Amino acid sequence: MNKLLAVIKREYLQRVRSRMFIVMTILGPMVISLFGIAPAVIFSIRAGGPVKVAVVDQTGTMYSSLYNSVMEEAEEPDSTNRPADARTPNDNQSERFQTMGNQRVEVPELQAVSIGGRSLNEIKAELDRRVGAKELDGYLILPGNLLENGAAEFVTRNTGDVFTRRFLQRALSRAVSQQRLIAANINVKTVEALSKPVELEATKIGATDRKRDSGEAFALVFGVGFVMYLTILLYGQQILGAVIEEKETRIAEILFSSARPFTIMLGKLIGVFFVAFTQLTIWGLAFVAFTLYGVEMLSARGMPIHIPTIPPSYFLYFALFFLMGYFIYSTIYALVGSMVTTAQEGGQLAMPIILLLVIGFYLFLPVSRSPDSSFAFWVSMIPFFSPITMPVRIVAQTPPFWEIALSLFVGFTAVALLTWLAGRIYRIGMLMTGKKATIPEVVRWVRQS
Amino acid sequence: MTNGHPTVSIDNITKSFGDFIAVSEMSLAVYPGKIFGLLGPNGAGKTTTIRMIVNITAPDSGEIRVFGQQITPELQDRIGYLPEERGLYKKMKVGDQIKYFAALKNVGAKEAGQRMDRWLARLKLSEWKNKKSSELSKGMQQKVQFINAVIHEPQLLILDEPFSGLDPVNVEVLKEIILELKIAGKTIIFSTHQMEVAEKICDDICLINRSRKVLEGSIREVKRGFSRNAVALRLVGGESVLADGSLISKVKRDSDGLEVLLADGATSQSLLKALLAADAIIERFEMIEPSLHDIFIEKVTENA
Repeated sequence: MNKLLAVIKREYLQRVRSRMFIVMTILGPMVISLFGIAPAVIFSIRAGGPVKVAVVDQTGTMYSSLYNSVMEEAEEPDSTNRPADARTPNDNQSERFQTMGNQRVEVPELQAVSIGGRSLNEIKAELDRRVGAKELDGYLILPGNLLENGAAEFVTRNTGDVFTRRFLQRALSRAVSQQRLIAANINVKTVEALSKPVELEATKIGATDRKRDSGEAFALVFGVGFVMYLTILLYGQQILGAVIEEKETRIAEILFSSARPFTIMLGKLIGVFFVAFTQLTIWGLAFVAFTLYGVEMLSARGMPIHIPTIPPSYFLYFALFFLMGYFIYSTIYALVGSMVTTAQEGGQLAMPIILLLVIGFYLFLPVSRSPDSSFAFWVSMIPFFSPITMPVRIVAQTPPFWEIALSLFVGFTAVALLTWLAGRIYRIGMLMTGKKATIPEVVRWVRQS
Repeated sequence: MTNGHPTVSIDNITKSFGDFIAVSEMSLAVYPGKIFGLLGPNGAGKTTTIRMIVNITAPDSGEIRVFGQQITPELQDRIGYLPEERGLYKKMKVGDQIKYFAALKNVGAKEAGQRMDRWLARLKLSEWKNKKSSELSKGMQQKVQFINAVIHEPQLLILDEPFSGLDPVNVEVLKEIILELKIAGKTIIFSTHQMEVAEKICDDICLINRSRKVLEGSIREVKRGFSRNAVALRLVGGESVLADGSLISKVKRDSDGLEVLLADGATSQSLLKALLAADAIIERFEMIEPSLHDIFIEKVTENA
């Protein structure tokens, strides 16, 4: 017991005192918010100026209507004339990104092309030349029967720019439907007033204060999933490195001449766990402090942020699932570390573990969207995924207690099994030098010891 | 040579890794207050034997008793071990490392600190206490390792190639310490393939080769068993005597004179008389024992 404490103490103090720990503790939240913000920022980057689009109006009447429509669309992109199928309840991720892109797309610059008696082919040839000379980014041909057929042609240099295409499509649809209404003698203003969309506010069931929840909950779910993923990965890698160091430098031999290998391994896992826990606690306290003081301060300066309140019981759940996830992955990391001879080999052998973790992380998307589906239930019972998926479910839509308890039970059983297995492999692997252990060898070690 | 119960007694142990037999049917006894040399070429099975004594691995068959008991993790606290492959945590301060290894041997922090300061002073490492071990030279790291092996004042100290990589000054310092520990009643197992060193400090030796014990006993006994009736000579004249086959079977010349092997039936007395009778001027006449080195080479090549 004394020896176990000695190992834990060393692993803890050596790490917490290190510069790396301090840097990570400060930079961690920044890195996490960066991962959250980066996609949106990148989508907002528009290389080059606004898209220039020439319009060949064969109807002779549509251009001004389209122009107005583009302006309206730029002001309130979501309000009217969205194709009915654009927002199904289960937006998939690519649509989510596109929505993000749509909101940032710049309004294309329209210019009318005077037909002046030329044939369509002549005009096309002229416009192709201008697109080739980069005077234009594309051109839109509105055929004479546009109102009847509802089809137009968009020729562009960059077919990959789905945002501009969708934008034009919406603006054109709006203009066409307005023209059709006018043609049918129906007052456009009346129609607009009558078809004003309903605003839907999402409030989480069971929430006590019924505050408006507009997307921040998603950020919170993402944040919880990401913090779990990042910390498990980060500290698992630390375990891997530390085990390989002891093996490479043969410190293991001295350690094993002083204490049971299992004590050494367990001490290392527990010591590093406390390091991770310290870091998470610091982050957690910083988050609470931010919700208490920072939000108010930002609101006072005109930056209102709603952070959904997290019941204290959630923090207990997070701690338990982190404990479980940490031990599942770090035991495997310790096991892998004892099997290899160099850090490079360790990196290769650790790839499948990282893959499992990454899958677990990406599962947060389907799980957060439908947290009570049977899919979400099953992935939150699989020990490799549950440390990420279950906390995500808890935040998104807290499942019944028995599900949480079952997930914890399955997970901690897996921890016990893995620790037993790793202990056997570790004892022999750490003393074996010269070559990487093969799977049959490892199986034999497990049977023998 | 035997006084009291052996500190370590190994009874017919065998250890193999897959198809490779590392130690086979080995038995030996190490007595308290002695320096026991475990000798043998590289790959003979020395390190495997030692690992079994310190309970890092277990024999496939046979029994090891340390301090008269079956080896247990608790007994490890009374054993000090300096492995051949040296290892320190690169980024940990020297003082912290020594204290850590002391804690792993159940030495209290305060006690460990005092002992450490004494050892660091003795080995002239005091000013390195707060440096990371990666900043130390190889020899200094080795001395730190030695402190790690003795910080808990073990009754049994096992040193695997303790002198390799040390400069002559440090070799002397370490040798002195080892002899002091012996006088203080500690049992020391000393593994090496450097016979000159073993010859100087060991009381008993065991020579192993290809997983088996080939020779054991006190240095005296071993050498006596190998007495080859060799005489070292430096002469002026007397060539006729050297050619006499009834007296001398073999002559080996080197820069410092010659070494002759007496023929069967001849004694050093009869050789001396013959040389005097031939009027040779005798500058040196010395009965010489075979060196451990010679015995080692002979035994190992004979076994090969």
